[in-house]
Amino acid sequence: MNFSPMTRVTSFACRFSWQIDLTKKIKFETKRRSHYPMPLVDRWLSAASRHNAVLLLFVVCCGVTVIGALVIRDMQQANTEAQRMYKSSVNGLQEIGELQYDAQETRRTTLYALTTTNSNLQVEYADQTREADRRVRNGIAEYGRQAKGTEELALADRLNRDWTAYLSVRDEVLASILEGSTNEAVNLDLAGGVSAFERVRQDLNEVKRLYGEDASREQASLAESSRRSSSRMVGILSFTFLLSTAAVWAIQRSQLMGRMQLANLQMEFVASVSHELRTPLSVIRSAADNIADGLVKNMDALLRYGAILQHQSRSMGELVDQILLFASTEDRNKRVSLQPLPIEQIVEMVLSDTESLVRDSGFTLDLEVEPGLPHALGDLTGITQCLRNLVGNAVKYGGPDRRILLRAGASAPRENSPGEIRISVTDRGIGIDPSEIAHIFDPFYRSPRVHASQIHGTGLGLALAKRLAESMGGSLTVLSQLSSGSTFTLHLQISKGDNIQITANEGRQSRMSLT
Amino acid sequence: MATVLIPLLQGSSATSGNAAASSFADQTNPTEPLVIVVNRSNPVNELSFDELRRIFLGNRSHWPNGRRITLVMREPGELERKTVLRDVCAMNEDQFKNHFVHGLFTGEILVSPKILASPVGVRKFVFNVPGAIGYLRVGDVDDSVKVVRIDELLPDDKGYKLRMQIQLAN
Repeated sequence: MNFSPMTRVTSFACRFSWQIDLTKKIKFETKRRSHYPMPLVDRWLSAASRHNAVLLLFVVCCGVTVIGALVIRDMQQANTEAQRMYKSSVNGLQEIGELQYDAQETRRTTLYALTTTNSNLQVEYADQTREADRRVRNGIAEYGRQAKGTEELALADRLNRDWTAYLSVRDEVLASILEGSTNEAVNLDLAGGVSAFERVRQDLNEVKRLYGEDASREQASLAESSRRSSSRMVGILSFTFLLSTAAVWAIQRSQLMGRMQLANLQMEFVASVSHELRTPLSVIRSAADNIADGLVKNMDALLRYGAILQHQSRSMGELVDQILLFASTEDRNKRVSLQPLPIEQIVEMVLSDTESLVRDSGFTLDLEVEPGLPHALGDLTGITQCLRNLVGNAVKYGGPDRRILLRAGASAPRENSPGEIRISVTDRGIGIDPSEIAHIFDPFYRSPRVHASQIHGTGLGLALAKRLAESMGGSLTVLSQLSSGSTFTLHLQISKGDNIQITANEGRQSRMSLT
Repeated sequence: MATVLIPLLQGSSATSGNAAASSFADQTNPTEPLVIVVNRSNPVNELSFDELRRIFLGNRSHWPNGRRITLVMREPGELERKTVLRDVCAMNEDQFKNHFVHGLFTGEILVSPKILASPVGVRKFVFNVPGAIGYLRVGDVDDSVKVVRIDELLPDDKGYKLRMQIQLAN
């Protein structure tokens, strides 16, 4: 089979169109995702998964702790209330019981005196009855003090009156017994003592009844309080359960979203890498086929094919190197050996590395380097790789103006800042949407606008540049305005022992352009 | 009352102006007044020595307010009882017993004396019985009973007839 160069080109075009189809397919998948239900929740969960699901757990734990504290406080209050009521009930019953006993004791010991004619024993019984009588009077006075409401106050007053009336009879009976007039004592007791004591007994029963009613009311109140407490606890536990369930759901969903995002990013990465590899591979294969089929017959054509093969294989090699380099920076704890580097050496290296790229793309690279810059502390390979990526991005997204500015400067040490070297790459291209600024350093992240513009890439360039900067103790920042361009700045530490000598008089920037 | 009487007790002497009392008292031994007490509800504040004798011999049975008189005595052998029998009743123990047995038998005396073992018992009995009358040493008197003047004299007054000899311990 013989194919003309045109045929080869057609074949290459077909393969390329397949790649475009794949890209479209990926874009279609991305579009479908935008119709996913609950977009706000997912956006929030996505943010949570990107930052930390532990934060969510912390919030839930705080919520559960607060709710637990409320439950415990509620239980303690209910318990304290129950204890108070129990104690009050026991004390009240005990006091009423003692009052009844002492009243009986007063009467009993009075009548005991009837059982003997020994005056000494009778005096002892008289003592006992008066002692019991004193306790009863104290009990009645205490009841009067604690009486609540008109009914209890009236009862306390009546009890006091009835008890006094009984005591007057009791005194007469006692005197008769001591005098030895037993019959008279019995007659006195039957005539007045029994009825007077019966009134006292009824009063005490009334006290008991009122106390029982009061206790019943308190018991009902306690039962109501207990019911209220139980309902509150059930409510709180239900809320806690719902909150926990929601938190578990959110965490699982957050993790799922994270995994989905990662899977999508990896899929896009695979598609992008495949595309990036297939493009030069197709060119190489086409060129090799043409050479093998003997279609390249003169030396000029052979040299041109050789140059194509060289360029494409170098592109593939660079891509593979970048992927491998990114993989190697996965270990954040990996130490990079830092050394003092003159800025001129760094700039020279970057210009040398990007010269062909800038030239072939038709860009102009302006260079501004402040004079007398101190040495930067870093790794030369890392810095140049980082800047090469930034220049590469500037070329990719530089727009029709096709100008790139590479600027090197420094800030002097201050009270709060030790000073730093700043190397920035500025383009006048499409810029970055503010909503995307937070994501552009994420691995595999590619802006939808970039997808739409069919600008190829792996989504690793900026992530790799940032990791490299951080591995050298520096940082990478961006300032961008949509449709006006972007400035990426690499911040590096100043090597110790190097003093910055920048003054307005002697500081004159060196400028040059590379086209 | 006790706090008023105790200093007087220290200053008292055996040189009583009453002939009857002094005839029994040993002039060389110190004496202590014997206080006649009644219930606080009793309207009587003063008795003559003769009225006191009649009461202690059971010859008077009721107070002016109509309350029956209940005589309270210490047990035989007690110094207070001896003093009352000697100074008020002018009898010895046997004569006193025979007097009451005879009186109760004939109905001249309505109630026999109540015998209490201790001064506290006497005081409490008098406190509990409105018509009771008894005797106590000065130190045993408190506010629960009322002290009665004898011949218009209180126990701490000079010339108070009812005194008992204090047994000095050797």
